[in-house]
Amino acid sequence: MLRRADKSYARAFCSRGMLWLVGGVLLAALGCFATDTAPQVVLDATKAAPRTVEALTQRSIVRDYRFAWTNLSEALASNSANPLNGLFEGTASSWLHDEISNQLKNGLTSRYLNQNHKLEVVFYAPEGDVMELHDTAEYDLEVLDGNKSIHSEHAVVHYIVLMTPGADRWVVRQIQSVPHF
Amino acid sequence: MSWSMNTLCRNHSVRNTLILGLGVVALAAVALSQTLNVRVPSAAVAGESIWIGTTGSGSATFYLIGPTVSLKHDVQLGSEIVVPSKQTEIAGQYKAVVCVDHCQSADFYVAPAKPASLTFLVHPSRVPVGQNDAISGVALAFDEFGNLIFEPSTVDFQLAAKGSALTTRSVQTQNGIAWFRAPSGKAAGALQVTASLHDVSARRVVQQVASDPCNLRIKGQRTPKGVLVETEPIRDCAGNPVPDGTVVTFTAKNGNEISTVDAPVKQDVARAQIQAKGTLVVSAASGVVMGNELRLEAQ
Repeated sequence: MLRRADKSYARAFCSRGMLWLVGGVLLAALGCFATDTAPQVVLDATKAAPRTVEALTQRSIVRDYRFAWTNLSEALASNSANPLNGLFEGTASSWLHDEISNQLKNGLTSRYLNQNHKLEVVFYAPEGDVMELHDTAEYDLEVLDGNKSIHSEHAVVHYIVLMTPGADRWVVRQIQSVPHF
Repeated sequence: MSWSMNTLCRNHSVRNTLILGLGVVALAAVALSQTLNVRVPSAAVAGESIWIGTTGSGSATFYLIGPTVSLKHDVQLGSEIVVPSKQTEIAGQYKAVVCVDHCQSADFYVAPAKPASLTFLVHPSRVPVGQNDAISGVALAFDEFGNLIFEPSTVDFQLAAKGSALTTRSVQTQNGIAWFRAPSGKAAGALQVTASLHDVSARRVVQQVASDPCNLRIKGQRTPKGVLVETEPIRDCAGNPVPDGTVVTFTAKNGNEISTVDAPVKQDVARAQIQAKGTLVVSAASGVVMGNELRLEAQ
């Protein structure tokens, strides 16, 4: 039979233990999140020509491009076209659908982790109906065959991107990697 | 027993064993890198077959990962791997990966093929004549596989309208795009706008319409019910008849009484019957243009 002081000591010990446990779980969870964050996108529209990019449009581009890459990486990690969610149209959409079906056929998946995108507007049409951007993208790429990693690297890739305005968002119509700008 | 590094290094047999061990590891690493090596093309073009070289012997798994492409098949090391043209249609960065017990990879780029189509955006579809920088066009060149061609090339823009001289301008593409701005012509009618790159061209039509009416003049006469007023043929300042449906507002004033009638132009003329009595002052307006005033005495 425990004495009163022993009981309170045991209770304090247990509650402290619980605190440590909860803290540990939280730290582990934070650690998990730290391994992959949402894509970071910064936009430079100072060189946009012949039309200047309005502030509201700049915010839309950053928002929609970030969503586009979030969805693209989800789609290629899960081999499902559902996450693409209308942010890719035309050529970009059909290329991504092809890529997903080819990955699926060969049992491959790709992971794009820790993405950083430096976007620069290089052309904005006079009537505002098409925008060309240069994206210097940095990410950790891992390609898996089933559960086996066949390739992993920290990649720096240059993309030429064409975006057009849709009803309520900017959509990616072309995304093409190039050796350099 | 505790040995320091100095003691170890002073011991000849241990030192020799260490050196030998390091040598074996180094040789093994060199041998491993020699057994598995991937050679990729330095320049590849979309829609053309490519050859990827490997070194070593035995079987391995080959992967080709690129835009839209995810290939996987077994290969014999030491032989060349042929990637068919169908797999290199999309320009961009590709990775050739060869795996035995470990994987080796090499990157290469596929460049777009020659221009096969032009995406040509022209605005607006209808434009009033005599406006500065009213027409704009943007041309983007693509190859037959839909790759944007970003190598600089010259796009020729032609603007042709009936009764006016052909306007041409050559624009070098920047980042794959060429664009222009141009004023609208003097005469109403179809303006053919063409963009050409090598043997590829795209054509759009812009309808040039009359600008605002110029010198609006009216005439009128008394009728049993009021007055019948009509305009003379309405034209813009360049002499183009304004399109049917252009609204002309007729206003009749009799002291403090004001009657207003909107009438559309039909075959260059707008007509209106105004029910009013007494001496009237009738005027007309269309857009920002005011016409003459007409005084009709009471009968």
